[in-house]
Parts: sequence; C-alpha cells; structure tokens
Amino acid sequence: MSDPRPVSQSDQPAGSPTDPALRGRRVGAPAVSQDTELAVEIRGLVERGEAERAREKFSELVASHQRRALRIAYQYLRDAAEADEAVQDAFVKVFGHIGSYREAWPFEVWFTRILINGCLDRRKARARRDRWFAPAEDASGLDEARYAAAGGADRDPEARLLARERRERLAAAIDRLDGRQRTVFMLCHYGDRTPREVSAITGLNESTVRVHLFRAARKLRSLLGGKS
Amino acid sequence: MIGRPRHLHDDRLFECYVAERGGERVDPPAADHLADCADCSARYGELTRFMEGLRTEAEQETDEIFTPEQLRLQQQHISRRIEHLGHPARVLSFPARMVRKHFSSSTGRLAPRWAAAAAAAGLFVGVGVGIFFDSRSRVMAPVVATVSSPRPVGIPAALAAPIFDDDDAFLSEIEAVVGGPHNLELLPFDTLTPRIREISSRPLRY
Repeated sequence: MSDPRPVSQSDQPAGSPTDPALRGRRVGAPAVSQDTELAVEIRGLVERGEAERAREKFSELVASHQRRALRIAYQYLRDAAEADEAVQDAFVKVFGHIGSYREAWPFEVWFTRILINGCLDRRKARARRDRWFAPAEDASGLDEARYAAAGGADRDPEARLLARERRERLAAAIDRLDGRQRTVFMLCHYGDRTPREVSAITGLNESTVRVHLFRAARKLRSLLGGKS
Repeated sequence: MIGRPRHLHDDRLFECYVAERGGERVDPPAADHLADCADCSARYGELTRFMEGLRTEAEQETDEIFTPEQLRLQQQHISRRIEHLGHPARVLSFPARMVRKHFSSSTGRLAPRWAAAAAAAGLFVGVGVGIFFDSRSRVMAPVVATVSSPRPVGIPAALAAPIFDDDDAFLSEIEAVVGGPHNLELLPFDTLTPRIREISSRPLRY
C-alpha cells in the first residue's frame, strides 16, 4: 500500500496517533466492486507498460470518484482551491502507486484513505501557517467569488446570504466535533461510506465507528438547535 | 397488567437510520416499534430530516462551488499530471552550473588550492618588492633634498614650488591679465584680496 498510514483519528490540530489497540485492524472486505476491478485492470496495464491505456482507464475512475472526493475534501478544508489540490494530489498519488494496490482493499477505501490523509496533512500545514503568518485572504470570500463566477450569483441575494450563514454554522459545528467523530461523520455522511467501510478506512472497530457517528450526530443536533 | 411499550432510545433510532440509509436490514423489533409508536415514528422522522438536511446542504454547497466545468478542468489537470509521472523533471542548466561543470570532481578541489597558492605568492612578492623600493627611496631621499632649494618656513610646499621655479614669468602674466581691458571692473576686488606674502609676513593673531 502506498500510503499505509491509517487515517489519523484525531485531527485537532490533526495528526495525533491512532489508538495503538486499533491500529492495523481490518474489518472484513466487502465484495469486489467495479472500481476495484478497474483498479486491478489499470495496475495490469501499467505493469505491461501500456501507460496510455492505463491513463484512459484511470480517467474513468477519476470521473466516478471525483465529486464525492471533492465533497469530502471541501468539508474537511473549507477552501475550494485547497480541496481541488487535495483531490488532484490523491488521484495522482493513487496512479503513481497503483502497482502496490491489492484488491484485498476495495478501491474506494484505499483512495479515500489516501485522500483523508492528504486533507489531514493540509489541515496540519494550515494550522502551522496560521500560527506564523497573517492570513492573505479569507478562504470563504474566495469561494464566494468562485461560486459567483460559476453563475450562482443569479440566485436571490437573501437566499444566498441565508444559505451562507447556515453553512457557516454547520461548518463551525462540525469543526467543534472531536477529531475521530469528525472523520467518521465526514466519511459516513458526506462520503457515503457505510460504517464497515469507514472502519476499514480508519482502522477503527465497526462498533466504535457507529458510536462515534451517533455521538457526532447528537452533538451536531445540539449545536445546530435540533433536538438531541 | 400490560406494561406500556418503552420508547426507542436515540441510539437505537440512529441505528435504524444508518441501517436504512446503508441499505441494510433494520433491526426487526425496532422496525415493528416504529410502525406502532407514533412518538418514536415522529422522532425518527425528525432525525431523518435533520440528517438529510445536513447532507443536502453539503452537497448543494459543493455542487455550487465545483461546477461541471470545473470538474472537467480538474480531470484535465489530473490527466496532465499523471502523464508526467513517469518522466523525471527536466533540469535547466544555468551559467553558474556550467561554470561549476568545468571543475570536475578531480580538479574541483585542486582549483581553489592553486588559487590560494597564487594569491599567497603574489602577496609575498608584493610585500618584498614594496620593502625593497621603500628602502631604496629612503637612501635616495637626501640626494634629492640637496638638489632642491630650501623653501621658506611656513609656506606649504604646493604654494612654494611656483615661486622658486618661474616666479617672474608667472607674476608678469598675472599683471598682463589684470591690466587687460575686460578686467578693470575686477580691480577693486583684487585690491581687497590679501597677498600671500602679506599673510606669511604678518604675525599670527589670536
């Protein structure tokens, strides 16, 4: 595996080690998915030196995982440019290390793990930057500009403002979650991963994942004004 | 006595939600309870709405920022980057690097040694020659002094030199210029200007 680190369970400020008792623990692999088969095919093409065909096939993988990856990365980083880079880096890393990919791991799990580790590294780097340098520009402002450039500015300004406030509240609430809870919540809820898959990604026990997910949801409901 | 059915705890409700969402089978007793209990069903509905609201919000936000056009651009960037994965980065040769190239690994250490040796030799020769000429000029100095005339005390050497060389010619030239037609206006200033002899002969006053 090219990126053998288990996803850091606590990312505040991101990077504290995983519980040793849980490290390396793997939960039963699900049935081989289409993406996994495709990844194995790409690995074969690369090994045979058919780089051009491997790249073509890989673009299919990119297309099928890109949106979900961006959703996870953006919710983690809250910065469109950084999320874009993180997703690009993850795909490039996956292709660069496709030779070491083993189908025992579903491709989605392998890829998501690489992506999350990249996001956590970026969060850590950002925390360091914020400590020593004055911020150049507010990321949310840039994202707003990006959104406006994409044509979203046509919407009712009041609705836009309300949506922005709602999203800021949600982001702040997610940021207040414990590192493990946040990771589990992001992967399950935004990454559409089942607790079993999240268990494989994070190295946590499946029942622990379920507990973290429940606690994250309960905390978010209490922070966002919903009942708990 | 028939006991009142207990309501589902929040964690059981959440388990039901996770199972339903993941396409798994919901725990049958919990499913039965939800079907019978209006309160729990309402709570479940509320939980589902809240969770789905979070998801929808996040999806909308991401979709608004990352439009299909941007997704396409990102795919192109990724393709371009993986195309260059196999190729090592090209190193541009700069002049400094080219200069360094002349010194191979064997001569790289010799060149500075030669330079240092040449500099040391030059310094040594320079100091030697300097000492030699300095001692010679000291030996020659009394001879020169005897040839030149002694200058009056109190007059700087720079001012004294023309007095002894071409004194008369110099003064006559000055008088000719001063007596010229265009210099009459300057004569009052000339009379006010003290002469060097007057200054040198006058005793110093403090």
